[in-house]
Amino acid sequence: MTMNRPKQKNKEAKTPAAVDMTCRIKDLVFKNPVTVASGTFGTKDEYTSCVDYEKLGAVITKTITVKPRRGNPMPRICETPSGMLNAIGLQNKGLEDFIENKIPYFAGIKTPLIVNIAGEEENDFEILVKALHAHKKVVKALEINLSCPNVEAGGVSGMKKKEKIEKIIKTVRGETDLPIVAKLSPELGDVIEIAGEVLRAGADGLSLINTLKGLAVNIRTRQPRIANVTGGLSGPAIRPVALRYVYEVKKNYQVPVIASGGILTADDAMEFIIVGADLIALGTANFVNPTATMDVLRGIETFCRNQGIMSLSQIRGTFHVPPRQSCWQ
Amino acid sequence: MSSARSKMQDEVVTILDNRKINEKYFKLTFASKKLSRGVVPGQFLQLQIQPTFDPLLRRPFSYYRIKGERVEVLYEILGRGTGILSQKGKGSRVRILGPLGNPFSKPKAKKTTVLVAGGIGLPPLVFFAEKNKVDYLLIGGKSKAEVLPKSELSKVSGKVLYATNDGSYGKKGFVTVLLDELIHQQEDPRNLFVQTCGPKVMMQAVIDLARKYEIPGEASIDETMGCGVGACLGCMVETDKGLVPSCVEGPVFAFDSIRQSLV
Ligand SMILES: Cc1cc2nc3c(=O)[nH]c(=O)nc-3n(C[C@H](O)[C@H](O)[C@H](O)COP(=O)(O)OP(=O)(O)OC[C@H]3O[C@@H](n4cnc5c(N)ncnc54)[C@H](O)[C@@H]3O)c2cc1C
Ligand SMILES: Cc1cc2nc3c(=O)[nH]c(=O)nc-3n(C[C@H](O)[C@H](O)[C@H](O)COP(=O)(O)O)c2cc1C
Ligand code: FES
Repeated sequence: MTMNRPKQKNKEAKTPAAVDMTCRIKDLVFKNPVTVASGTFGTKDEYTSCVDYEKLGAVITKTITVKPRRGNPMPRICETPSGMLNAIGLQNKGLEDFIENKIPYFAGIKTPLIVNIAGEEENDFEILVKALHAHKKVVKALEINLSCPNVEAGGVSGMKKKEKIEKIIKTVRGETDLPIVAKLSPELGDVIEIAGEVLRAGADGLSLINTLKGLAVNIRTRQPRIANVTGGLSGPAIRPVALRYVYEVKKNYQVPVIASGGILTADDAMEFIIVGADLIALGTANFVNPTATMDVLRGIETFCRNQGIMSLSQIRGTFHVPPRQSCWQ
Repeated sequence: MSSARSKMQDEVVTILDNRKINEKYFKLTFASKKLSRGVVPGQFLQLQIQPTFDPLLRRPFSYYRIKGERVEVLYEILGRGTGILSQKGKGSRVRILGPLGNPFSKPKAKKTTVLVAGGIGLPPLVFFAEKNKVDYLLIGGKSKAEVLPKSELSKVSGKVLYATNDGSYGKKGFVTVLLDELIHQQEDPRNLFVQTCGPKVMMQAVIDLARKYEIPGEASIDETMGCGVGACLGCMVETDKGLVPSCVEGPVFAFDSIRQSLV
């Protein structure tokens, strides 16, 4: 049969058309949905030997604060069942260092840079946004970290007040026309309700989910396994929780969502796309498998091709629950 | 920093051998051109225990010995990861990222090189004593059960001295007793150069002694690691350069650069 095929067709079969992987937040177009979760990909070129940064859909930075932060004492991380706890405490070198040393690096990379920011004091967000907006050529969007479980000021505990969250988003909105995405965690309270508030306040999209607060005990010393006592749980252990929130939020609001929470493989990524995620952020996966982003990117394409899907938009948000059948009939 | 990163490789390797070599330690052997090339004592690798991501994070292990393309890792069962690793037989495949981190520096001319190893801090120092001319290798352990078979130390340069907590082999007491004796035999202890790897309590005792007698040296600091490449900021050490990730700026640090107590 193959022998009878015209030559032209044979050629086409060898180089199948690329799957359209593009997605967008507002006017910002990403060539594919694969990105990295804040705080898990270093601050600059840590993964260059394993990852072609230009193949990523976007790069999301670790949280930047106005002033440098030293973070929490050691040990800061420990493994838990199918996950890990971290209490890094937003260690970073501050806004000035970021602009001076990191932005020039990303200026040379043709992948949209999303900068994740957090405030410790009242007008920090204003300072951060003004400074970053001035680098619009490189900084293509902002992710507002409202949900770090490991810091007092600017962390999840301070954000429990709804008015505060609303004020932050309004401040950021007032200073920039760059796309802004609010990063939420179930630790904040009712995610669906808060999502509604941040969207009303002017956010263009949501980032779901940040880590969940957890604890691990060293049974010999009877002490916590990380110095901060509690830390943020990430990895496959939280994937079903993340998936549920992406699904529920997408059902309620038709806005772009960056999904993170235990995505390690292309199959994991497809689950999130099917419930409606726009971008897929790999976090802990990078530590386990330094080429995870590239593997997932290839895997999504292969999956789509095998399923005869030529554009991710054909499968995004197609999750459906079959009609309930009673066991008793 | 970035040059070390650009040389790192992530590869699935086949286990050639994985056996118990004494009551306490296992030795894992695999062959890999990429993971053995240019490796120097003190560097480490990150081993993914299972392809199923459970246990999730990779585990750091020092390079124990390189023979051509053959790599040896010496390890102790401490928890779930090393427990599963010990069950893997010849022909099993594991994914390994390496070489990572900075090595111990070469012996200094006119200095007496003393290596101080405690427990599972031994592998990189045996590797070092096989690759370089050293004067002493002091080994501390809990009991005779930890003592390496003679064959494992046959190529080690310098004098090998043991101390065990229970006195079942070598000197009774901590390895620092041996170091203290050696210091007192010196006309000028400042001519010693001490390189150490082991439990933090032991290394802190070594550093305290070294500071007291103004002896320069280096310690390989064992922090819990997530990524091994400087991305997670989980393994920070306070140094004269600030708070730095030990996986890329270390794990080996000069005594005088360390600005924190290890315990
Ligand atoms: C740079 C470096 C080099 C190392 N080289 C070797 C080596 O050559 N041989 C060897 O046997 N071990 C080495 N270790 C320690 C090794 O990483 C741990 O023994 C291993 O991670 C334990 O894994 P597990 O799953 O068995 O234990 P887990 O179940 O994770 O933990 C069990 C116990 O191990 C302790 N532990 C966990 N992680 C570490 C760690 N990073 N360092 C020390 N203790 C830890 C825990 O506190 C706990 O008490 C090295 C560690 C580092 C940072
Ligand atoms: C070590 C570590 C550091 C993190 N740092 C940040 C951070 O600085 N800002 C932030 O918004 N999220 C941070 N996160 C959360 C991740 O971005 C991500 O939302 C979360 O880990 C869930 O995804 P995962 O399960 O794929 O890791 C961090 C997570 C880890 C594991
Ligand atoms: S282990 Fe991640 S920074 Fe060192």
